[in-house]
Amino acid sequence: MFNIQHSARRRGIALATGGAVLALLLTACSGSAPEQAQPERDLGTPVAGEVKAGALDGVTLTFAGSGGIFQDGQTEALWDPFAKASGATFLQDAFDAGKLKAMVDSGNVSWDIVNATQFDTARGCGTLYEEYDYSQIDTSKIPEGTITDKCMVPQILYGLVVVYNTDKFGDNPPTSAADFFDTKKFPGKRTVSQSTYVDPQTVEFALTAQGKDVKNITTDDIDTAFDMYRELGDDVIGWTTGAQAQQQLESGEAVMGLVWSGRGYGAAAAGAPVAPMWDQWMIMVDSNGIPKGVKDKQAAFAAVNYSIGAEQQAKMTELTSYGPVNVDAKPKLDETLSTWMTTDHLDTGIAPNVDFWVENYDALATAWASWATGS
Amino acid sequence: MMNNIVTEGDQSTQAIALGADAGGVGRRRSLGNWRPLLLLIPAFVIVSLFFLAPLIDVFIRSITDPKPGVQNYVWLFTTEANINVVVRTFVTAIVVTLVCLLLAYPYAYLMTIVSDRTRNLMQLFIMMPLWTSILVRTLAWMVLLQDTGPINGLLMAWFGIGPIPLIRTTFGVALGMSQVLLPFMVLPLYSSMAKIDKRLLPAASNLGANPVTAFFTVYLPLSRPGIFSGGVTVFILGLGFYIIPALLGSSKESMISALIQQQISVFLMWGQGTALGIFLLVCTILILIVVSRFNRGGSLFPGVDR
Repeated sequence: MFNIQHSARRRGIALATGGAVLALLLTACSGSAPEQAQPERDLGTPVAGEVKAGALDGVTLTFAGSGGIFQDGQTEALWDPFAKASGATFLQDAFDAGKLKAMVDSGNVSWDIVNATQFDTARGCGTLYEEYDYSQIDTSKIPEGTITDKCMVPQILYGLVVVYNTDKFGDNPPTSAADFFDTKKFPGKRTVSQSTYVDPQTVEFALTAQGKDVKNITTDDIDTAFDMYRELGDDVIGWTTGAQAQQQLESGEAVMGLVWSGRGYGAAAAGAPVAPMWDQWMIMVDSNGIPKGVKDKQAAFAAVNYSIGAEQQAKMTELTSYGPVNVDAKPKLDETLSTWMTTDHLDTGIAPNVDFWVENYDALATAWASWATGS
Repeated sequence: MMNNIVTEGDQSTQAIALGADAGGVGRRRSLGNWRPLLLLIPAFVIVSLFFLAPLIDVFIRSITDPKPGVQNYVWLFTTEANINVVVRTFVTAIVVTLVCLLLAYPYAYLMTIVSDRTRNLMQLFIMMPLWTSILVRTLAWMVLLQDTGPINGLLMAWFGIGPIPLIRTTFGVALGMSQVLLPFMVLPLYSSMAKIDKRLLPAASNLGANPVTAFFTVYLPLSRPGIFSGGVTVFILGLGFYIIPALLGSSKESMISALIQQQISVFLMWGQGTALGIFLLVCTILILIVVSRFNRGGSLFPGVDR
């Protein structure tokens, strides 16, 4: 009797596991959904920051961003208001370029708009990212020269900025990229990116310090630039994450740093005695990228077009400290934040040579990997 | 233990036979031989679907992306930075394994001689770190170890030295990794030490061995299975560490997983990233083979006896 019950239970288990296996196989085999036709709605002439009310009822869009207060601020200032106005549902996810490639390769794209660097979209334009139809976007208020490839609309305007400790150098602040490398005049440790995320502007900054024009650089210059950082020896410490850069500045471990403007502001807002050097700084632009094979391109364009409105950008800046990409945006800034506004210093900013970096990405990747792993 | 399994197997064979109303002793035997293997099917399916298939995909990518050929492996072995990182990864994992062994051995031994209550408490202490997020623990180490942190603060206030570089050093990375990996050393050590007959040590001294000799000739060899299984577990887990070297180390401490992440998620050079992954896997398998040769008669996996 006992044995029979025992066997019945075992068979139950076997059935259950068999069922589970079947279910797994089924989910594994159900491939990507068939290609959907692009819905074409009449959304009228695009005006930045506007969308036809209720035009996207029933549409779901997903934004993959960089997380933290940055993405929270974007959600509050851009995506949630867009969802409300257009009737679309907006979801948030975390961006990873590798994951994007996996999605595009497998034809199963679940993101509609992503936060990528301008080099990401330039390099993957047409393969990983959709080309924009700029007739569906109102680009008239976007700062000049910030659309650097056909697959991007700027998302934020920030920079790689020298941030220095005002207790140390308040009376005699650094005034050029070359000063960053002058350890006699400005003694102390400086921090510079050794993050896995490659910023070509780090290379361009060193070349600027040498007096080179970033519009005229060669692959040999890449090694020259890294050697300049290496020659700083014990005076250079690296940051591997933005949070670490900020922490090194706040704790005083680094008296100077080449860091993302938002992180410098973060240190200042936390009360650290730091100030930005605007005399020579490296402009950075993040892209709104549209993954290749996105289900509803028109809806994604409409969301991007809405996000670059003056009002939306002003609010985004107030919430995130990153510079707006609409020249009419008038964010209300407190005293600290107003000293960190990249968009007020575009005249002294140096724009990246995007074409060069896309063309020579392999050389950059090799040199950066070596630098970022301490070789 | 083996006896129990056999009995249970017989019972189930019988039960299946009864259920199916099949007869014949010989038939039952042969059924009994293969039917339990059916139980492996779910595990087999899951392993092949979610491990083997992706692994094969990874391997194929490493020899086809961006074009067919072994260029990714050529790149792997001819790029100086890669070699540096691979060597560094192995050195770090070895150091961490040794540190864990030195810390865990006395601790595990102590666990075998204390009262049940104390042992439970000791077990709790060793398990506790496993229940805390690795990020939280690593951040705590960052705060403690930084130049302006409490450790350097105390050193300066009391001894007037420092700041001694603690964070962004191999020491910091080894410290953080050892803390995380310690349970994986203590538990196998304890499980093998618990099986050692305590009377062997008095017996050895009875035969004229001093405590040191008794330890090295009797106790240490008997605890060898624990040392091997703990050592291999810690070493192999250590090879794949990512977040701790990233936060407690500088770029000079970054390990192979950081290189893989960078190739896959930043540069989108999947051929090179997968080649690094396959290389790490092959190294791990080779190490397992070599170590198991040295460890004849013992199992490398905690809790499994051959």
